[in-house]
Amino acid sequence: MVEFLRQFLGDFLPNWLIHLLAYGIMATILLVVAVVMTIVLVWIERRGVARVQDRLGPNRVGFEGSLQLIADSAKLFTKEDIVPRNADRWVHLLAPVVTLASVAMMLAVIPWGRDIVAVDINVAVLYVAAVSSVSGVGLLMAGLGSSNKFALLGAMRAVAQFISYELPLILSLLVVVLLAGSMSITGVPAIQGGLPIVGTTIEGAPDLGLGWHVFTPVGALAFIVFFTSALAEGERTPFDIPEADSEIIAGFMTEYSGMKFAVFYLSQYIMNFVLAMIAAIAFLGGWQGPGVAWLVNSGNELAGNILSLFWMMLKTITIFVFLVLIRGAWPRLRVDQLMNLAWKFLFPLALFNIMSAAFWVAITQWGAAEGLPFLEGQGALARQLIAWVVTFVINASVVYWLLRINNKPPEEEEFIAEAVQEKQTGVASLS
Amino acid sequence: MTVETTRHRVYVVERPKEKLRYGQGLIAGLDVVIKHFTSAFTKKIDNHSQISGVFTVQYPEEKRPLPEAFRNFPILLYDDETGHELCTSCFQCERICPPQVIHMTQERDPQTGKAVPSVAEFIIEYDACMSCGLCAEVCPFDAIKMDHEFELSTSDHGEMTVRKNGLNRPVSYYEKIAPTFWAEAKDSAYKKLQGSMKRRSGGIGIAPHLVDKIKQARAELEAQTAAAAAEAPAKPATSDDKAARLAAIRAKNTAQQQGESPATATDADANTPEDKAARLAAIRAKNAAKKQGDEPATASAAPEASAEASPQDEKAARLAAIRAKNAAKKQGDEPAAASAATSEASAEASPQDEKAARLAAIRAKNAAKKQAETTSAEPETAATDTNTEATSTPTADAEASPQDEKAARLAAIRAKNAAKKRTEQNQDPPATDDDAA
Repeated sequence: MVEFLRQFLGDFLPNWLIHLLAYGIMATILLVVAVVMTIVLVWIERRGVARVQDRLGPNRVGFEGSLQLIADSAKLFTKEDIVPRNADRWVHLLAPVVTLASVAMMLAVIPWGRDIVAVDINVAVLYVAAVSSVSGVGLLMAGLGSSNKFALLGAMRAVAQFISYELPLILSLLVVVLLAGSMSITGVPAIQGGLPIVGTTIEGAPDLGLGWHVFTPVGALAFIVFFTSALAEGERTPFDIPEADSEIIAGFMTEYSGMKFAVFYLSQYIMNFVLAMIAAIAFLGGWQGPGVAWLVNSGNELAGNILSLFWMMLKTITIFVFLVLIRGAWPRLRVDQLMNLAWKFLFPLALFNIMSAAFWVAITQWGAAEGLPFLEGQGALARQLIAWVVTFVINASVVYWLLRINNKPPEEEEFIAEAVQEKQTGVASLS
Repeated sequence: MTVETTRHRVYVVERPKEKLRYGQGLIAGLDVVIKHFTSAFTKKIDNHSQISGVFTVQYPEEKRPLPEAFRNFPILLYDDETGHELCTSCFQCERICPPQVIHMTQERDPQTGKAVPSVAEFIIEYDACMSCGLCAEVCPFDAIKMDHEFELSTSDHGEMTVRKNGLNRPVSYYEKIAPTFWAEAKDSAYKKLQGSMKRRSGGIGIAPHLVDKIKQARAELEAQTAAAAAEAPAKPATSDDKAARLAAIRAKNTAQQQGESPATATDADANTPEDKAARLAAIRAKNAAKKQGDEPATASAAPEASAEASPQDEKAARLAAIRAKNAAKKQGDEPAAASAATSEASAEASPQDEKAARLAAIRAKNAAKKQAETTSAEPETAATDTNTEATSTPTADAEASPQDEKAARLAAIRAKNAAKKRTEQNQDPPATDDDAA
């Protein structure tokens, strides 16, 4: 964009102004696209959950209710801006702004397709992890600023959840950093070409863009950990404890209405969208897909980029639809269960996964220089398959072990079941 | 498996023994959700016991059938064929209405000012109606029923006060929305409607928006019958007897045509044993008068008159009465002219015929009344026309014989009254009357 502007305005404007203009335009485009995507996602969510619940969902405004969110936001934006009397006015006002800003900043480094990225920085993963954490500050501000006990409770829950799930989230992304060998997020889809499992290791095989990380044991486990953590980060069912509307009204959003509520709502959906995009990029090949490599190699770079954008969006929206189905299916966790899952299961799992990712990298890439001369003579395919088997064994045993130590002993479980039955029926257990 | 306790029986549901471990429950839950998700696109269910599929009713486009007993706001029924409203303004619904939103005024005969079993104006305040349906339940004539129409929202509050025009619905409409309910009520409702129709005259009791239509249809029918009647009297009458018989036959025919009860026809027919027939006619006149409940005094006077009547006059009087009656029946139009003619005839016959003349007048009147009950149309023009005729004749009578003056005038007045109740007039009665005279 900078080069594009310089081409036309380079003679008239100073360099810094061109940069400013270019990034301003890009930010505007990104935000507009984000809002449009939010409309799409909300439509998918409302209609999807309705179908799950044997309803039809909104189908009046626009084609099949596609413009429902526009009508809703028109309503929200015309509402009175209510600030509670005891609220900290400035904190109350800034909370949604901080939340939306931190979420919107994540959009800057996300590659939407092949060569479609606003800012390509070499520490993009770190940037995403850092910036997404700031939204937790916004939530706490909302809870504190509204001086409402439910809002504060919701905010505390939200922040606790945020901090807990940031760890497995970042650790699972660390796996991808290990595999890619850099913190740049644009390079991640590039290494996921080729065929499933074997990747690009076979000479002369067509590049279908299906060598996704999710087909490797390391990537699959990381994907599961990342996805679970993303559910919690985005406050989606079954981890929607911060805004559990049946328990604490709407959590930190209790005292928000009108435009501020709309901003929270928007930031939530952008957050979910960005997390789905990162999941797609890191584990599902991002913009990789059948046809992209072929189009680029045959000279149609623009067509290839457009196809890559299509694949990216398809993957992102598929993940989101899965989120919607999960919302329809699973009940909310308790707070203690939430913490147990994060600290006792996902966190060690992510740590062990980093270990097996290290094994993967060692087996596939290291040689005599790193002290592993016996791998030197093997072919790339053989190395890939050996790495696959080794990491599979490690990961499977780790998952089995963690599930086992996290389960209660069978005798204890039986005892609890009998106690529950006694309590429910008022009859002593028969066994 | 059940477990009996002292207080109740506990049903223990058998579950599969194996526990759902390692996320199997999550997968099972997702499976259920995906099944619902896919079936929601393909299946539309009506029965809620089915597990999956969409059962949403897209209301404005799609409406579920309402049960027959559904009740929203009351409506009034009128007969499809005659246009007569079933309501007789008995005030039962007004009395029982808990929020007191029903108001009505009874219809009155424009000439006599007497109450008629029909409703002049009927108002229901829909805005305060609580749809209890008590009015429909209490109505002895099945005239007020609960409607199924419920989309009545309006921005104009005044629209919720509905008058008779807005309340009237044809019986066929109610039959459509509640067929079995109407089948139960149908017979008694129509029987009662026949009864109240007999006591209505003119346009009274006809649904207002149908008056013009019915008038038109009736005018057409009259034109047809008038044409038929004009052909009949063309045949010359040689003797009074013949003319009388002819008149009787014609009366019978027209009566049958109009679907009247055969009793009146035979009444006109059986005139060979003269004494008997005269008495019979008098008794019938009395009965008719009693039925009407209008003028019991004159009715009671009638049998006396017939008993005292001299044998010579008897014949003439009877003849005149029969002719008047027949003529009245024939067209259902010309009672005034007819009765005026009879009074003329009786006055001319002899001064001692006073009583006979009165008898004839009464008979004429009764016949006219009977006729009036079966047909109805605009009374105004007919009444005024006949009035002038009727008032002119008595003065002529008075000049002819001073002794009969009183009787003749009485007869004329009665004829006039009868004529008022009558409906229409015709051209040919004078011809037949002249014949008879």
